[in-house]
Amino acid sequence: MFKPSGALLAMRRQGSSNRTFAGSFADPFRNIDWLLLGAVIALGIIGMFNTYSATRQRLINQGFDPFIYVQRQVAFAIIATLVMILIMAIGHEWLRGRVIFIYGAVLVALLLVLVAGAVKGGARLSFDFGYFSVQPAEAAKPVVLLTIAAYLSDTMEGRINYHQFVMSLYILGAPIGLILLQPDLGSASVIVAGVAGVLFVAGAKRRYLALITAMSILTVVGTVIGGVVGGYQLARIEAWLNQNSRDSALDRILLQVRFAKRAVSTGGFFGKGYLNGPLTNGAFIPVQFTDFPFSAIAEQFGMLGGGVVLGLFGVVLWRTWRIAQLARDRLGLLLAAGIFTMLAWQIFQNIGMTLGLTPVSGLPLPFISYGGSHLVSSAILIGMVQSIHMRRLE
Amino acid sequence: MATPTRSKRLVALGVTALLLMSLLTVRMWVLQAVEAESTESIVLAVRTRTIKLLGERGRIFDVTGRVLAANKRILTVTIDRSVISDPVDRLAMFQRLSGPLGLPLDLLYKRFDDQRFGPLEALPLKEDVSEDTALFLAERTEDFPGVFVREEYRRNYPYGALGSHIVGYLGAILPNNLAYYRSVGYDPNERVGQYGVEQSYETILRGKPGYIRFEVDAQGNVLRILERVEPVIGNDLQLSIDLSIQQFAEQALETQLGLRRRVEAATVNLPDGTPDPQYPEITYYKAPAGSVVLLNQENGQIVAMASYPRFDNRWFGSVITNNKYAQIFPQTDDPDLSILVNRAVSGRYNLGSSFKPFVAYAALNTGQLPGGSKYTFRDEGTYKLESIPNDRCQQGVKCVFRNATCRATNQPCRYGTVTVEEALAVSSDSFFYKIGEQILTERGYQAILEQQVRLFGFGSPTNVDLPYEYSGTIPSKALKRRMADLGAISKESGQAYFVGDQILFAIGQGLLSATPLQVASAFAVLANSGKLFQPHVVQRILSPGTPDASPGVADLNIGSVTERFDQLKPVRILDMSGDRRDPIVKGLTRVITGPGVTFGYYHKTTGENLFRGYPYKILPIAGKTGTAQGFGNLPWNDSSAFGAFSLDPAMPYAAYAYLEKSGYGSQAAAPVIKCLFTALAGEYRLDPVVPADPLNLNSAVAAPPSSLRNPLCLAGLGSESRD
Repeated sequence: MFKPSGALLAMRRQGSSNRTFAGSFADPFRNIDWLLLGAVIALGIIGMFNTYSATRQRLINQGFDPFIYVQRQVAFAIIATLVMILIMAIGHEWLRGRVIFIYGAVLVALLLVLVAGAVKGGARLSFDFGYFSVQPAEAAKPVVLLTIAAYLSDTMEGRINYHQFVMSLYILGAPIGLILLQPDLGSASVIVAGVAGVLFVAGAKRRYLALITAMSILTVVGTVIGGVVGGYQLARIEAWLNQNSRDSALDRILLQVRFAKRAVSTGGFFGKGYLNGPLTNGAFIPVQFTDFPFSAIAEQFGMLGGGVVLGLFGVVLWRTWRIAQLARDRLGLLLAAGIFTMLAWQIFQNIGMTLGLTPVSGLPLPFISYGGSHLVSSAILIGMVQSIHMRRLE
Repeated sequence: MATPTRSKRLVALGVTALLLMSLLTVRMWVLQAVEAESTESIVLAVRTRTIKLLGERGRIFDVTGRVLAANKRILTVTIDRSVISDPVDRLAMFQRLSGPLGLPLDLLYKRFDDQRFGPLEALPLKEDVSEDTALFLAERTEDFPGVFVREEYRRNYPYGALGSHIVGYLGAILPNNLAYYRSVGYDPNERVGQYGVEQSYETILRGKPGYIRFEVDAQGNVLRILERVEPVIGNDLQLSIDLSIQQFAEQALETQLGLRRRVEAATVNLPDGTPDPQYPEITYYKAPAGSVVLLNQENGQIVAMASYPRFDNRWFGSVITNNKYAQIFPQTDDPDLSILVNRAVSGRYNLGSSFKPFVAYAALNTGQLPGGSKYTFRDEGTYKLESIPNDRCQQGVKCVFRNATCRATNQPCRYGTVTVEEALAVSSDSFFYKIGEQILTERGYQAILEQQVRLFGFGSPTNVDLPYEYSGTIPSKALKRRMADLGAISKESGQAYFVGDQILFAIGQGLLSATPLQVASAFAVLANSGKLFQPHVVQRILSPGTPDASPGVADLNIGSVTERFDQLKPVRILDMSGDRRDPIVKGLTRVITGPGVTFGYYHKTTGENLFRGYPYKILPIAGKTGTAQGFGNLPWNDSSAFGAFSLDPAMPYAAYAYLEKSGYGSQAAAPVIKCLFTALAGEYRLDPVVPADPLNLNSAVAAPPSSLRNPLCLAGLGSESRD
């Protein structure tokens, strides 16, 4: 592990205090984790090509320009990049100071979407602005993490105590409750996973962790009994448990997963070649470009391509984990650990459902899936991680 | 910064993530490497659709190349089933299509429910739409999604009723044939040959279908064409039928039947000579049906084959209602009326005296007649069985068989001492009664006669290349038992084969039955000195795509021959050496030319009167009359038969005509054969063969009448006895 010598540290501190010297080692922008950035950019570019391949034929069939989706994806990526640079520039510390307002804004947005959101598939997930739509649940992901990490780092001494744990649950509970009402179990699970990561690293006792797990399960059961979560989400779980079922009621979900698995398995080692995947071209997998992008990658580029993507995610996770370890303060550690958990969970959940390991949920695959909200939300997460890394020596 | 606990926890978190990522990697590897093979084929099956392409059906020509069956290109409007799978969409689409297609909604729905059209293929909504309609729909694809106009071929028979019993027609696959056609790669909605050559050469005419394989998406939308295999056009057929002679044969047959219907049959008299009051005094011959076969002695190739009633095979390609169909082709139990029967190959006929030449051969070949051609027999008009004791005859067993009645004496004709040649010339029944009895009783009751006539092909199918052939029956113990079991004859009668059965057999009556084609083929064996051929109406199977020499006539000199049937080896060769054939041919020649025999007075041969005007010098022929007794042995139920063959090796023809319920052999059938050979001799100017008028859908008959322009060749006197 690189340990800066005392002289270097002194130089950097000097540099940081002397703002005129922008190129010094103490300049935060000299300390960007380029490996992490590179992996994220690579994944984003793969995502654009993948979005094109997974949407081209179905757009042609419908008589549209085959580039519509990928053009929008590029636009989203540019916005996301700008947001990431902004976060990196202003730093997570600055955000921490205003976290209460940001958290409040997200809660308001989550409330508003329940009232004024566009209904799609029986759920109110997003605001529709015509050319694009915004999912407040995506914004909630980084914000809830930041809020809890900020609260804990401010109040905690040593290990997290019961009071802080309960406070954390309150902070978590408000947005989760609203998200479950949409209902968006997937996003809720991501946020819970991220917060669980924060609490775990914060030293939460095992019984706290057991408690949060039990509460999560009870919440899910409660939403099901309360009728908030419809039969559709249950059917997804039922379909997951009986993947070879011929039940026509589960047909849509079963076929979606079955074709996704077939796409992966027929890819072989080298894949069918770019734009040559029959199942991808044939639009056999509904919402492939948002929910099952990995199936398109694996069909076209085989185990090799799938392996590269998994490897890049591995790099992202590894660097995030490393940044958590290098973090200068408690806030950086907790935030990075939460982001690490959140990303790991999303990656596992999304690729897992493509491979039939986990039930189907509407979670996007970070950086790869088509969609602006999740791209921006992921960019915020990476921006905060980079910010922790950049400022670890201050 | 990190405390040990945190550090440990961070490591635990990292390890968990590492495990999850590893799990994904392993799972991906399992799917791609281990399960890949099992899923590949499923994927392929799911994502492709195949559409069959049918090639143009092979054409059918007559021997000179006249096109008897051709194809017309038509446009058919089809609709993709996925577009109308939803009932609401279906109604909307059908409502929109009803106008342009000119079809009421219920007909469209009927099409939709028709099981013949497979669920995976586009549904044909209307065939043979105009170019305008096709263009209208093609220009408005966005208003008619899934609607597609495709090219198809429709069978076209330029000559209509002429030769339709041979050419046949196409129809939908019948439910009981579906399994067979499926097994040889047909789709249930294909049209297949259902009659004639169209049926017997179905798979050859059809060619090999091609296909287009599409890649489709989950909604069934076509993405791209994966493979296109062009269909192979079917083989063309050149028939051995000469359409000009075929036309003449059909005209002669129909004209003669028409003439016979105006002739009064003899009255039925009581034994004292007064008319039997039980029957009307005047009954006209019914002459409902008949057939003529003309074939080449030397190879079994059929030159003409007429069957009446005729029908126009274009009825089966036209859109007519069930009621109209029932009017044209009425359902009937009366065999006289059935139209869709080629009587030349399916007729079940008694042959009467026209069978005698073959009985004569049996006797000569087996040495039954001592001295052969010199053997004589004294014909006293009646024949008393020698093998039955007198006392049994007095107990009621029929022992005395009579000759036909001579008009001059109103008594059974008496011909005096006759040789086999003379017996054939004047058609002496007694002579053949004797042969019939003795060939049985003197040979230990063996089935010698049956074995001998089987050599000529009687009792088994000729295997002609036409469907629905009847194999004929030969009286025997086994046949009688079978018929008794079927209830056709009484139980007592079915117990044994009696001498009486053999007597009737010997003069072509009783349980003997054969088709006109079988008899014509048997006469050809006598003509060509013993060679039995498998008859064919097809001369050559030609490679696909024979070009036309001129409109409506194929150029038979171009293109290669796949298979030919005019150079086949005989199925069997009969011994015609020594004294076997000559007396028969001489006797049959005397039937045409005379002289007859003198006993008391001069008895003309059965054909002598009729053939007086025949150009024998140009085309010498031999023949034999026959009158088959019908129901109740009533005069108007007599069916008329005549077989003949050419004696000129340059014109090797053999012919047989059979006119149902039309009178004596010399009165109805012989004139038709006489006309036929007169025409073959070049002494009759044949009508030119011209394509038929378009089918008149308002017509109430299956085929328009067709008659000889000049029926004089039919004229001539019959014989004086029921021959």
